[in-house]
Parts: sequence; structure tokens; C-alpha cells
Amino acid sequence: MVHYKLTYFLSRGLADVSRQLFHLAGVEFEDERLNRDQFLERKESFPFKQVPVLTVDGLEIPQSMAIARYLATKFGFAGKTPEESALVDAFVDQFKDFYAEIHDYFYTMLGFTQLDGEEQKEKVLIPARDKFLPLLAKFLAKSKSGFLVDSGITFADLIIVDDMTTLINWWPQYADGYPEILAWRERVMNYPKLKEYIEKRPVTMA
Amino acid sequence: MPSYKLTYFDVRGLAEASRLLFHLAGVPFEDKRITFGDGSWEKLKDSTPFGQIPVLSVDGFEIPQSAAILRYLAKKFGFAGKTPEEQAWADAIVDQFKDFFGAFRQLIVAQRGGKSAEEIEKITSEVVKPAQESYFKILNGILEKNKSGFLVGNGITFADLVIAENIESLEKFGFFNASEQPKLSALREKVYTQPSLKSYLASRPDSQI
Repeated sequence: MVHYKLTYFLSRGLADVSRQLFHLAGVEFEDERLNRDQFLERKESFPFKQVPVLTVDGLEIPQSMAIARYLATKFGFAGKTPEESALVDAFVDQFKDFYAEIHDYFYTMLGFTQLDGEEQKEKVLIPARDKFLPLLAKFLAKSKSGFLVDSGITFADLIIVDDMTTLINWWPQYADGYPEILAWRERVMNYPKLKEYIEKRPVTMA
Repeated sequence: MPSYKLTYFDVRGLAEASRLLFHLAGVPFEDKRITFGDGSWEKLKDSTPFGQIPVLSVDGFEIPQSAAILRYLAKKFGFAGKTPEEQAWADAIVDQFKDFFGAFRQLIVAQRGGKSAEEIEKITSEVVKPAQESYFKILNGILEKNKSGFLVGNGITFADLVIAENIESLEKFGFFNASEQPKLSALREKVYTQPSLKSYLASRPDSQI
């Protein structure tokens, strides 16, 4: 049997999607969570000097979305046709673009900048949200499954909803103008096996 | 055979790796190039899936996002690594490039936005140069360990195409000195001397980015 180890911080960040995939698939893995000191001690040993890192029978794979895609493909959560998988990838890339756009807000709320959170919310988060959420809503409206692609839940649903959890933690009204998005978020978080994991996982702001 | 159309601006940018892939695989496609600034993009924008280009159209099915397009084609044509683990590494390298490019883009935006020389120098020394240093360190580390001279496994993958094109752009921007970067220069050489790319490379429109 393949031995998997996922190494990341204590938080959800860009790695919880991969933890979720293991739970959805019912596959065992070592869920290694490092505090800041432990990370700094081992930083230079990681392939890209970053976490998450997935170790598969000793082979290390870096980069959060490469890891998520690898697991999702293995476990069947990456779309059912090559074209669907490409669309899933496109949603994940669009999410990463959104995530880069809100960097100043996100890292301010994490406590890593001297900027003002309220100011960044107005300046950066809200404009990015108002481009990203309507785009998702457009696809959700036509979807046969109630998830982003027709065949069912994929790692694109998981990563976007998990990031939204963080944004809602910081600002509970974040998605109030988007009921269809909140309904989709409910559907994802109530998904069998995912629901149980969410109820048991460590509660973190981000 | 499916009918492919790749729509992008008339620059190399985020679509060139996909164009190279079609030529590498010897697969015909419509290389639709939109002229920037003549109003044609504005007319097209709302009909694209994400309001952006590049878009790949495969028998009418539209795929947005450059890396998603590139990976789709690479998997179809056999340039995505030989195993799932190799493909994950190709994905990781492209993601690392994108992270670096996010930093580099700040410079392009500042230059195009007419920022002061001081502001541009600040971005260059505080953002771009450190990001480039760690990005190159990672790439050189990979090339050090992988004796094939390619980034992943024993053959060319979409990761090699992305990095070669980025090196080309960095050189045009004055951020890459071939003599200081022998391994990366050799990688670009290895990609650009692929026989099936020869005639396209000789005739393609040039662009800074």
C-alpha cells in the first residue's frame, strides 16, 4: 500500500483541500502539521523551500495545487473527461489569480503587513470578489450537478469553498450578496465524508 | 481529428507555450491572434468563458486559463511526463514560474503605468530580484539533479516550454544573462533546437513578453 505524508502548517491554507481529498477518498495519510519553528528548522530541506509538500513512498511533490491535482486525479475528483478536467484546472487557476489579487487583504488579516484591514477590504477584497463570485455563479447556474462541473464535486469546489471559509471568518457578511454562492458552499460542506472531516478538523481562522 | 483554435493577443505571453506544443506535436490548429488596442478584444471579451484570453476551442468546447490549456494539450499529445508523479512535478514547476511571474508582473505594470524611475528601481531590487534569485535557484537545483537536461524525466514536457519562453522574455527585459546561467541557457537551447519547432521559431512574430 502506498504511504502518503502531507506536510503543512497547522492551518488550512492551501493544503486543507488535499487533506479533504484523502478523507473523501477514504485513503489513510500522515497529516503532518508544523508550527512556525518546526517549519523554519526544516525549510531548506523542502524541494521548493515551502510547504505543503506531499511525500508518496519517499518521493516529494511540492506546490499546493500540483499536490491537490495529483491526489484528485488519483481519487477521481478532477472531472470525468479531459475537457472537464481542463475546466476544473481553469477554475483552480482563476481562484489562484483571485487569491493573488487579494494578497494585501489576506496577508494583512494574517498579521503580516502594516496595512489597514478595513481599507484593504474596500480597496482589494470587494472588487476582486465582485469579479470572481459572479463568474462562479454563472457556471453553477448551468451545472447539472450543483457543483462547478457537470459530473460532480471536484477539487475546484473544495479549494474555493475552503478559502471562502477563511474570508467569512474574517468578515461574516463576505458573500451575503451572493445567495447562490452560499447555497453551493452549503452543498460542498455537507458532502458525505467531507462533513465529518470538517466537524472533526482543528478549527483555524485561515 | 478535433478542430483546435487558440485565441490570444499577437504576443508570445501566456499562450506561446501552447502554440509551441501544437508545433512540437505536429497538430494543426488555428492560431488566432488579436491585435491589442484596435477594439477587437473589447468586442470578443464577453463571449469568452472567463472574460479573458487565451481561450482554446476544441470542436467548439471552450477552455480558458493558459496553464489549463497547456496541460490539456500536453496530456493529449504526450508531453506531460510519463507518470502521474512526473506530471505533478511539471505542474509544480509551472506553478513556481507563475509565482515568480506574479512578482515580475509588478515591474511590467509599474513600467507601463509610467511610475518614477525610483519606484521602478525599488520594485526591481526589493521584489523582482529576490523572487528571481529563489526561482532560478530552484530551477538550477532541478537541472543539477536531472541528467537528461530537461526539467522532468527524460524528455521534453510542457514545463520545459514554459521556462524556455520565460528565459527568452527575461533576456529581452535585461533580466537574464546567458553566460551567468549556463544550465538555463542549455535548457532553452534544448527546447529551441527541437526539430519540429525549427520552422515555426524561424518565422514566428517576435515580442518582448
